Amino acid sequence: MLLKLIGSLLIMAASSFLGVYFSKECARRPRELRELQRLLQMFENEISFLSSTVTEAFIKLSGYYESNIRLFFSQAAEILMHKNGINASEAWEMAVKENIKKTALKKEDEAIVLSFGKMLGASDLEGQISNIRLTLTQLKMQEEKAEEEKEKNKTMYMNLGVLGGLAIVIILI
Amino acid sequence: MGIDLIFRIAAIGILVSVLNAVLNKSGREEQAMMTTLAGLIVVLLMIVKEIAGLFDTVKTIFNF
Repeated sequence: MLLKLIGSLLIMAASSFLGVYFSKECARRPRELRELQRLLQMFENEISFLSSTVTEAFIKLSGYYESNIRLFFSQAAEILMHKNGINASEAWEMAVKENIKKTALKKEDEAIVLSFGKMLGASDLEGQISNIRLTLTQLKMQEEKAEEEKEKNKTMYMNLGVLGGLAIVIILI
Repeated sequence: MGIDLIFRIAAIGILVSVLNAVLNKSGREEQAMMTTLAGLIVVLLMIVKEIAGLFDTVKTIFNF
């Protein structure tokens, strides 16, 4: 009897933990999209007012946040510094492709981020700034969508975890 | 057999209905349907032995 009780408690704990984990996980994407927007905003300031080079700006930006989003910037800066014959957009693409798995971003977000990189360093200051603005509006739309999805899924994962655990316990007893 | 089985089936019924409501609310009708079906199958598996017992009893009553 005691063994059964302990076992069912363990199952409940595990499945509830899983539910909480997944509901936390689905809050990650909107947060990272917001962070990316903030970083791009800073990048715009960096190149328009301080007129620093891409490498300098990336190094500076990668110090601002602790999340995995900054890996894009730090890795791109590293590639730019240490590899010869690679321009900014190639470095950006490599950095993004390498680190996208560590973030919660989806394929559609990746496409936007990569298309930002395509224009990187390919035009004058005006063009660069309008490219950043365009990316920002696209990311804003993605963020709204992600936020909606999060609201829908957050409570569901929590409930699903607890109730699923309960179901397993009842079936096994 | 016993009162135990009935309680267990009742618990599964309550659980499945709550799960159904949760999934429906978050716009996942297909999964809600699937959970209902899964609950039904689990309950059927639980009572299949009892149904067999019932048939046996009926058979012995009419001396087949």
